[in-house]
Order: sequence, then structure tokens, then C-alpha cells
Amino acid sequence: MILLLEIKKLKRTGCLPAFLGGAVLAAAFPLLNMLVRSETFTALPGEPFRILTDANWQMMAMLNILTIICGACMIYHTEYANNGAQKMAVLPVRTYQIFWGKFAVTVLALAGMLLFEIAALELCAMHWFPDYHLQLTALAKNLCFSLIAALPTIILMMLIASVCQNMWISLGIGVILVFTVSVFPKENLFLSLCPFNSPYQTLALAAQNGSEWIFTLICAAETIIFGIAAFIFDNVRRYFL
Amino acid sequence: MNIIETNNLTKTYGDFTAVNEISLHIQKGHVYGFLGPNGAGKSTTMKLFLGLTQPTGGSFQIDGKTYPKDRVPILKTIGSFIEAPAFYGNLTGEENLDIIRKILGLPRQSVTDALELVGLTQFKKRLAKRYSLGMKQRLGLAGALLGRPPILILDEPTNGLDPVGIHEIRSLIRSLPQQFNCTVLVSSHLLSEMELMADDIGILNHGQLLFEGTMEQLRQTAKANGFPTDNLEDTFLAMIDDDNRKRGQIR
Ligand SMILES: Nc1ncnc2c1ncn2[C@@H]1O[C@H](COP(=O)(O)OP(=O)(O)OP(=O)(O)O)[C@@H](O)[C@H]1O
Ligand SMILES: [Mg+2]
Repeated sequence: MILLLEIKKLKRTGCLPAFLGGAVLAAAFPLLNMLVRSETFTALPGEPFRILTDANWQMMAMLNILTIICGACMIYHTEYANNGAQKMAVLPVRTYQIFWGKFAVTVLALAGMLLFEIAALELCAMHWFPDYHLQLTALAKNLCFSLIAALPTIILMMLIASVCQNMWISLGIGVILVFTVSVFPKENLFLSLCPFNSPYQTLALAAQNGSEWIFTLICAAETIIFGIAAFIFDNVRRYFL
Repeated sequence: MNIIETNNLTKTYGDFTAVNEISLHIQKGHVYGFLGPNGAGKSTTMKLFLGLTQPTGGSFQIDGKTYPKDRVPILKTIGSFIEAPAFYGNLTGEENLDIIRKILGLPRQSVTDALELVGLTQFKKRLAKRYSLGMKQRLGLAGALLGRPPILILDEPTNGLDPVGIHEIRSLIRSLPQQFNCTVLVSSHLLSEMELMADDIGILNHGQLLFEGTMEQLRQTAKANGFPTDNLEDTFLAMIDDDNRKRGQIR
């Protein structure tokens, strides 16, 4: 129920167009890449889907992260702009439920985006690599992996957006984090697990290092830890008001 | 019977005491007028009741429940409006009330009723951010009245309303206790309105409770202290002035 309410609150905020725009932009990237220089990739040895993700996922993941940041800021901006948050705080609902509702909305939106993007990659693979056949299980695995890899980023960004009542501050923190993390070396497992860095990981790359399970488990654990932090913050914020 | 009772309730911000050991007794089915100059601590007290901010000391009970243990059950019984209207600007007036209605688990009809009650029916399809000041205020009131809660906490509900609106809200508040056995805690700077509306009065100054009692008791106290008793406004001004002078001497 709280999920439906949170979706209702986003009416006319431009959140849906933002997520849609992010998805279209990210999905257009491999398409353009193939249209402009398909020979570079078709000539490469190896599995087509892997070739495509290696070539495009960095950029696509970056777009996803930026969309998450914008989305989180917009979602919490509706809450703070006209003080709707205060009204929620005096209604018989636990405010951390609102946090979870908003988190769930963002996860759903990102799942939609990822589905769209992975479908675009599959289409590219099928179109430019004649031997390639669509494997639905592989598609589903990739989708789940990428979604779980993005969870720590989503929840941390939601936490930041819920703490900073001014949207521009949360937006600034988010963008700074993106660029700080983008200089981290990608090979280091420990650093690649950081929020804002983990979405760059692909299932193929993780599987190659044999770390796909550790990776998903640690991302899930990070999500729970940030979730607990959000819960604690929610209980102590009254002391600062 | 006291439906709201506080016990040396205190709130400090740093080294500033906004609410200083006040003990209020608000009786069930009464309209309790909360008076005090700007910064006296009226809104802070109301925020404490609603759990919007944490008390530094003391305690309070609402309808037999204690904070913070029963925060959510307490909020179930209170309709509130604090300082400024709080709403979602991207939603229409009706959609705003519908969100509150869903959380409270009320029937659809209650939104229509609340809109009618505050005279917003005509504008229910307009975005709340495009409302005029008074319309936003009315929307906030509708949100507080939704579902006719047994306790209403209204902080300057008539702020920004036109004379007709002020009159309507006063009649509404006046009629609530009889109609729905509702208790109202209301603050306002319109003392002539308050005089017509309130059964009991609490006067705050610098976070301290100067007086608590019925209108009649206020008159008697004022007479005993040599304050004017013709109307609430004169009594109030004299009382605050006297208290401020005493504070000046202490310092
Ligand atoms: N978050 C805060 N931090 C510091 N001081 C605060 C805070 N909130 C309120 N105050 C102070 O507490 C005092 C009481 O404020 P409050 O809003 O309760 O006054 P009020 O009686 O409602 O006044 P008004 O009639 O102007 O609405 C004021 O001096 C105010 O500056
Ligand atoms: Mg106030």
C-alpha cells in the first residue's frame, strides 16, 4: 500500500520521464556504437554479448547511476518542497516505511531501465552477430546481477536525499561521489564493491574472476547496512528538529 | 477528565529554553485556547505533542497514552495543522487529501466531506501549489479535520483567511465538541476570536505558563491582580507586560 502511495506522490514531478530518458539514453549508446563502428566489434573474438558489454557497459552504468541520483533527488524534493514530509510525520505511519516505499519505487524504476538496456544489448548482438541466439536465462541473470549491483548505490543515494532537505545539496553530493569513485581502479575487488562503483561491474567480468557470488552477497549486505543506517537516522532525526 | 496532560514538559535548543517546565491540563470536549506572544513556545509545544521534535525534559500523556512509547497510536487520534500548511505541490487538493485518507484508512466520502467543510470543493482539481494563501490554509485544515479525529491540534488555523473564512472556522471549531465530542487545542493571535471560541485558556510567555484556567477564572485572576477585564485582549496585554517587567527586574 505504501508503495502505491509513493508512486501516486510522484504524479507530475517528471520522475517517470527522467527514468525513461535515462533508459533511452543508455540503450541508445550501444546502438550508436554499433551503427558507427560495428566492424571494430564484430571482428573481435569471443562471446558477442560479452563484447558488447565490455564496450558499452561503463558508459551505460554511469548513465544509470546519474539517473538514480536525479531520481532520488526528485523523489525527496516532492517530499520537502512544500513540507509534505511534515504532514507525513504527524500521520500514524512510521516514517521509515516511507523511506522503504521510496526505495522500492526507485528499485522498480531501475529494474525497468535495466530490462530496457539489456534488451537493447541483446538486440545489437542478434543484429550484428549472425551466429548469436537469444538466451532468456542469461538475460535474466544479467538483469538480476546488475540490479543487485546497483542496490547499494540506490539506498545510499536515497539516504543522502532524505537527510538533505535541499535537493541541490544531495545532487551535489551524488555527483561528487560519482566522479570520486570513477578514478578508483576497477580491478580491485574491494574498491569495486563500493556504492557508486559496483554498478560498473558486469556479470561476465565478475564470473571471470570467480567473484560473482561474493559480489552479490556483499552488495546485498551493504544494502542492509545502509537500510539499518536509514532506520537509525529516522529515529534520531527528531532530536535535531 | 484531562485528555492531554503535560508534566514539566521542557524543550531546549542549545542553551535557549523554548518550552520551560509547563504543565498543561486539557479537558476532554473543551476548546483550549493557547495564547502567547511571538516566540513564546506555542508551536514548539504542539510539535512536542505530535512527536515532530523530542522533549528535553518532562513528559506528557495524550488520551492515556505516553510518548514516545505510543507515538503511532497517539497520532491516530490527532488531526493537526502546524504553523504553515504542509502538502504536496504537484498534487491537486483532492489528491493531497486522498493520500492522507489512505494512510488513515478512511472511506472515500471523507475527502468530499472535508473539502466541503473548508469550502474547497470548487477548487479540488487545482494543483495545491497554485492555491492562494488562504486556500492552502484551508487545505491544511481539511487535512486536519479528515476523519473527524477525537483531538485537534490547530496552530494559527485562521492565519491568512478572509473575514468570512475566519468566521466559518470559528463556528466550526466552536461546534466540534458538541457534534463529535472532539477536543481542540488551538493557538491564535486573534484574541477577539479566541474569546468567542475557547472554553479554557493557557497563556505562555518566554516558554513559561503564566495562566491556565477557564475564561471566568482568567477574569477573576485579572481582577485580583488589578489588570483590565473588559476583554481578553486588554487582559492579555497587561499580563504579558507585567510578566516581562518582572523578568526585567530579575535580570
Ligand atoms: N529548531 C529550532 N532551533 C532553535 N530555536 C528554535 C527552533 N525552533 C524554535 N525555536 C525557538 O523557540 C522559540 C519558540 O518558538 P515557537 O515557534 O514555539 O513560538 P510561537 O509561540 O509559536 O510563536 P509565533 O506566535 O510566532 O508562532 C522561538 O524563540 C524560536 O526561535
Ligand atoms: Mg507559532
